[in-house]
Formats: sequence, C-alpha cells, structure tokens
Amino acid sequence: MKCSFTLNGRAVEAEIDGLTPLLRLVRDHAGTGTKLGCGEGRCGACTVLVDGEPVASCLYPAANVEGRQVRSIESIAAPDAPLSPVQDALLDGGAVQCGACIPGVVMTLTALLEKENRPSEERVRTELVGNICRCTGYHKIVESALAVTTASEEPV
Amino acid sequence: MTGVIGQNHRRADGEAKVRGTAIYGMDYTERAALHAKVLRAEVPAARVVRLDTSKAQAMPGVWAVATAADAPGLSGMMALKDQRVFADGVIRYIGEPIAAVAAETPRQARAALAAIELELEPLEPVFDLDEALRPETRLVHPDWESYQTMVPAPREGNLAWQASTERGDVDAVFATAAIVVEDEFRSPRQHQCSIEPHAAVARYEQGRYIVHTPTQFPFLVRGRVAELLGVRPSEIRIVVPTIGGGFGGKLDSMLEPLACVLARKAGRPVRIVNTRAEEMATAAPRENAVVRLRTAVSEDGEILAQEAEVLSDNGANSSGETVACANIPPLVLGGTYRIPNARYVSKVIYTNTPPTAAFRGVNGPYCVFAQEMHLDHIARELGMDRREIRRRNVLKAGEAMVNGQVLDDAVLTDALDTVERMSGEATPSGNPKALRGTAVVPLTWITNPGPSGANVKLDEDGSIVVTAAAAEIGTGAVATGIRQLVAAEFGVPFERVVVTPPDTDAAGYDHGAQGSRTTVGMGNAALDASAKVRDQILDVAAGLLEADVADLELADGAVGISGVPDRKVTLAEVAGAALFTTGPIAAAGSFAAPPIPFDAGCMVGALFTNFFAATYHAHFAEVEVDPDTGKVTVLRYAVAQDVGKAINPQMIEGQIHGGVVQGLGFALYENLRLDGGLVLDQGLESYRLPTALDAPPIDIQLLENPYPHGPLGAKGVAEPPLVPVAAVIGCAVADAIGVPVRSLPLSPFDVLAALRDKRRDEV
Repeated sequence: MKCSFTLNGRAVEAEIDGLTPLLRLVRDHAGTGTKLGCGEGRCGACTVLVDGEPVASCLYPAANVEGRQVRSIESIAAPDAPLSPVQDALLDGGAVQCGACIPGVVMTLTALLEKENRPSEERVRTELVGNICRCTGYHKIVESALAVTTASEEPV
Repeated sequence: MTGVIGQNHRRADGEAKVRGTAIYGMDYTERAALHAKVLRAEVPAARVVRLDTSKAQAMPGVWAVATAADAPGLSGMMALKDQRVFADGVIRYIGEPIAAVAAETPRQARAALAAIELELEPLEPVFDLDEALRPETRLVHPDWESYQTMVPAPREGNLAWQASTERGDVDAVFATAAIVVEDEFRSPRQHQCSIEPHAAVARYEQGRYIVHTPTQFPFLVRGRVAELLGVRPSEIRIVVPTIGGGFGGKLDSMLEPLACVLARKAGRPVRIVNTRAEEMATAAPRENAVVRLRTAVSEDGEILAQEAEVLSDNGANSSGETVACANIPPLVLGGTYRIPNARYVSKVIYTNTPPTAAFRGVNGPYCVFAQEMHLDHIARELGMDRREIRRRNVLKAGEAMVNGQVLDDAVLTDALDTVERMSGEATPSGNPKALRGTAVVPLTWITNPGPSGANVKLDEDGSIVVTAAAAEIGTGAVATGIRQLVAAEFGVPFERVVVTPPDTDAAGYDHGAQGSRTTVGMGNAALDASAKVRDQILDVAAGLLEADVADLELADGAVGISGVPDRKVTLAEVAGAALFTTGPIAAAGSFAAPPIPFDAGCMVGALFTNFFAATYHAHFAEVEVDPDTGKVTVLRYAVAQDVGKAINPQMIEGQIHGGVVQGLGFALYENLRLDGGLVLDQGLESYRLPTALDAPPIDIQLLENPYPHGPLGAKGVAEPPLVPVAAVIGCAVADAIGVPVRSLPLSPFDVLAALRDKRRDEV
C-alpha cells in the first residue's frame, strides 16, 4: 500500500506492507539518526514525534502516519544551524556518553518541553522512563533537561 | 596549559551524537553488501550426525553458505584456546553457530537457513557448576587436554581453569581461632545490554579482510579473527565506527569471523547485525557464580585467616574474559582487608550454556558482595558494630594485600571517613511500615595495566593529530581525556587536538577500552609521543627565532622566547618550516606498565597477578524495604572515589552515575535466566534494566591521590563505581530487614521470603 506523510517538513510517499514499522521509513528517508535499539518498543532509542507526540517507531505501524507530521532527530537542528537548547544542554551537562539512546532522549525531552516549559524533576523522570540509557545513570540527562527550563526563564 | 586539565570540556564527538549524524556500527554498511543470518543450535548438547547445506546453497539470492569446514581454527580469549567459529561436529550450547548464510535480502537469508538439513544425536547436557566437577559427569570438551594455554594452570575435565592464591599457615590458624564463620553466596548472569547490538561489515580485498565493527578492543578482534580463520593477524584490518555502548560485551570477537568467512566465499561485502534476541541469548554476559567463604576471626574482630572457593561459569568455551581474569577473585577478596593467612581458589567451569564474558568489573562484583555480606555475618556473631569490623581490618597505606603487593598509597580509611561525612538526611517515601537500613563498603580496585602505542604529528595548520587504536566507547576517555592531556602538553586549545578513529592498519597496538585503562594507557603513550614532538617543535623554532631551546616556551599555539613577548612563531609556521628542512614533525610513543613487586610464589594459574594503579573507594547506601511487597527503594547513595587526578571531573561523575546505576541493576533487578541451557530473557520486556525512576540521588566526592606512573597522576575511573554496589545494597537491605539475602538480585520475592523465614524463626 501507499503511505504519504510529512517527515521533517518534506513530503514522503512510500510503498509499504501492512506492518512496516515507521522506523524503517524514517531511516530510509531522513538518515540513520533514529536507532533500532531493542526492536520491541522498550528502550526508546527509536523515539520520533508523530504530530508532536513521542512514539516508539520500531513498533509503530507506518500506515498510521498517513497524512500526519513526523519528526525525527534530523529535524531538531538544521545540519548547518546551531544545536537546539535540549541538544546544547545535554552536551553542556555531560549527559552524552555512547550516545546511542540520545536521539530518542532528545525527541522525548523536546516533546515534553514543547508542552510544558517548567516540568518538575519528577515529571522529567517519568517522561524518560521509556528511554533506556545504559551509560549515564540518567542524572545528567535529567539535570540537563532542567537546565533548559531554567535557561529559558532568564531575561533576554 | 592549566586551563585544559581539570576542566569540564564538552566531548569532541558530542555534536554528531546529539544531531544523529554519527555513524555507529549498527548504521554502517557498504555498497552491494549482502545480509547474513546464522543457523544457531536449538539444543544445549548434541552430536551433529548430518549437516547438508546443498539445498540452501541453491536458493535464490544466496551467495555463500559457511560451516565449520570454512573456519578450522581454534582460539580463545588470551588464556585458553577451545573455541571455533562454528560447531565442530559437537553442539555445546543453545545459540552456537552451526552455519551462516549471506544473501541479497534478509528474507532470502532466512529462507536459506530453513533449507539447511541438520540431524542431531542428543548428549547429556551439563548445567550445574558443582555437578560439572563430579568425576561421573560428561565432559563438555572431551579433548580439553589438547587445547593450548597461555600459561600453565590446573585444568581437568569440566574445570576449564583454576587460579589460586595461598599465603601463610591457613589450617593451623583455623584450628586455633576463637570463631569460624562460613557462608555461601550466589549471583546470576548480568547482560551488558548496550543499546547498540553487535554488528560487523566485512569485505575481502587484495588478499585481506577489512572489517568495520564497533569493538572496544580492535587489536584483540584482529588477533582472534586471524586465529579462528587460520590466517596471519596482518591479513585482517579492523576499522572502528562510533560505538553504541560496550561495558565489556564488545571486547571479544563475536560476529566478525562469521562476516569474514562469508565475505571471502561470496566475493562481496557482508553485513551482519544481531537481533535483540540473539544479543541476549548469545552475546556473552557476566558469568553466574557461587562464592563460598570461611573465615577465622579473633574475639575482637580481627581477621586471622580466610578460605574461599569461587565457582564461575565459563559456559561452553573460553571466548570471553572469564578465564583470563580467573585470579581477580583472589585479588579482590584479599585486596581491601588485611588477611594474613589465605587460601583462595577460583574455578572456572565448563557448562552447556552460552559462553560468559567481561562485564564492567569482571569477576569482581559478586566477590565483593560475598565478602561484605560475610563480614556483616561475622560482626553479628561477635556482636560487633559493622563499621567497626571494617575499620579494624581495612588495609592502610604501606600494608600488603594478599599477593604481597604493598599498597603504598591506600586511602581506604579516608574514603570511609568521606562517605560518613557526606551522609546527610534521607527523604523517606512516607510508607509508615517501611523498614530502613544503611551500609558502608570500602573497596580496592584495579586499573587495567595493558600496553598502548600512539603516534603524534604536528599538522601543517598547527593542529596536533594523535593516531591511536584507543576506542571511544562512550566514557569520554578518547573524546575528552586524551585530547585534554595532549592539549595541555602542547599549550594548544582542546579543539586543536584530533584523535583519529581506531584502524589497526594505521595505529599502534592498544590493549582495548577495558578496565578503566584508556586515559592511563593511551594517555601515557600519547604524552610520550607528544614529548618527542615537542622537542622537534622547539628545535625547529629555535632555528626560526635564532634563540636557544632552553629559552623557548610553548603556549597559546605558538613558540615564544621567555621574557621577549614580541618574538613568536606559530605552530603552523613551525610545521611549514619543518617540512623542507628537518622533515615533517611526528613521533611514536608507547606505554608499558612498570613492574610491581609482589609475591609470585603464592599464585598458580594467574594471568592477573597484581593491582596496577590501585584505586580506593567507599560507597554508602540507605534503603527502604516495603515489608508487604519486598520492594527495595534506594533513598540515597554516596561515593568517595580515588581518581588519581581528575582530568575531566564532569565525565568522571558521569561514569560514577552510570556505574552505580548498572550496579543497582545487578543488585536489584537484572537476572539473565536460563532454563535447560535456554536463555529465557530474550528481550528487554522481561530482562529488567534500571530506568530514570530507579536512579537514586547520588552524591560524589572525588579523591585526588596521584599515581606516579599515570598521566599527570591519573588512575582508572570508569569501572570501579559498579563493583561494590551490590555489596552495599545487600548489606543495607540486610540491615533493614534484619536478615541477609544471600543471592542476587535482591528481588521482591527473595526479600519477602527472607522476611517470612525470619518471622517464622522468631515465633
């Protein structure tokens, strides 16, 4: 079947089987930033946003994105543009180690911070529960997310 | 210069990682690469009666089918050569490769696997460690005697390897001691679960194999693949892309030999990537183990003598580090406390289960868990304070550990004092029934002493390029540590130092990203080469400036004359001038660990004999146990860690956070279950990893206790934070519920069972 949707602002038309996971289309059409971590929707390395909501693209059927907006890590900062505040904060905060989970983490945090500009630490941790990071122990990821919210309050 | 060391520089590989542009091993492929799939054994022990691949060979899209006949070599990780690429007529574990197929599409490869005809005759499998050692038990390797070993060691039948350390007159002390305490502890397999699975892309070109693989130890993979394929190591070239996590799981060769064999047969590149299920079932985890301890103590709590028997599961072959590190248990048991008389025996045992391997703190965490739970038991028997017994027996500077090595710089008491000072008030969960407990555990740990070579050149634009085979597995050791050290040496900004990605053709030997050694080993090698390059720079600059070398200073990317602010040449000018006069500026440097005096006579079968750049630690934990559910919540955690010299404090904190949370996984959640040799946990649904909600508050205090042979005094930092976690959590839970749980993980079921048994005993 045919599937038409918008990926990172570009129109995509793809021929898919009924259960083709969204992850495959994202990696074919956007780049390899979105990772296949566990393949069972548990680790969150494959997180992308569908109409602003994080989904595990390794399980999410591509057929479901017909006519919708999909954003992957490649959309967060243009290749020649500065990093987004979330990306910047993660690097500043020492929250990136091997980095395989990080594209998924960036997507989860971006979605959260687009909805809430001052989430509590508890809220950040709850949102991140679907993103397994085997390296960092999470603290620096959480601190970085909170640093973004603090920075945005400072007068310009 | 001072602006670089001790600073929280951002990692040099960070932008690509947060943008999603970094190409990991799992992302890498080559034009016209074929897809490979592996036929894996579904029974734990059998004889292969018939293996016919002719139908598979003729299937559409199939370019190559490989079996044991294509890879005859025997290999093993350093110590003992008992492994082949494919089952050699005998199946020894569920998941063992029997054949592999390379085809145009994954679907065609799978169809070909299904067409392979296999006839088996079952054999009696061996699973239990004690049972494996009984004389009547079937041998997993009937040919064990013929296998090559690196050093002599006691071996027999299913005892793959034995390492032991013995000091003093143990029997005499036990015969006269006031109290003798005995315990047994068990721990399960823990899986590394890197987010990136194992992956390899190989091609065969100009008579050589070129392999792109996300490995922590490129030179080991090169050597192992060569042995397994029966070729010279130089016929293999290993190139390392970005690595998506390792934790010891990506040290050894895994998929690389399969990809190489298929690529040669097919004449096309071959890509192979593990599914998560293959990863869990066959990518070697931390070994399950049994630790038996028996200790003689005086009435005032002094350890007089100790005996230990450590049984660790090698699985079906020695393809991981379990054998190579067999003497770590004796050193760990006798490296933190003063144990004047000791008999420690570490037995690595063959079973019909998937092979085990290195995982951060290899062979250590369960020994520390056992030793600390045992010490608490001794304290209970004596009616003594748990902290007091530790303080009384902990090694002090100038005292010797069990191998006779004197720990001149031991700061265990300082570490204990530090965590005591750090322990503030915990925020309880509010559950009025919750039971609370605390514990403190000291630890001596090791920096891996493996060698390194580095090449350093002054680039024509004045940048410094370090060519090294040190793998950046995420710790930051390469992405910040080595760069910071070299930037400081040359007085250039951090950004002006480039470290090339590992390629065994280009770089000198390096002993791998393991055991916290990269900053120390490769850092030293890079500094050695840098010093030689620095001399060449000053020599050329002296000519350009018409000054004496002794009057020159290197700072801010230029060479100047002391006291003459206007006379300077930039490094780019020096590089340009050198090209056609002295020749390009470059040098090779190396590092080998200095010999450490110890008593070799007390050891048998040991590849690891001493503690290089020993580090000293103390961990504190406070826990809450819900008596209705058995659930353990860690309220707070504190770490005091000797790092030698902190090159990048933020990166070190990140390693401590990560290590502690992985240790919490080992303590509370993770258990790679096997049943009849079958790995039950085939994914992250049932194999429970810690999440953001499981990470307790962690307070950290870095202790700077410089090591004279470390770069600027640095010691290894990344591995030790995991090692004592299960011990401190186990002791804190025992403190909370008033009874010990002697096996890991401390699951709610086990904690409840312990509570129930205690109540029954009290009635």
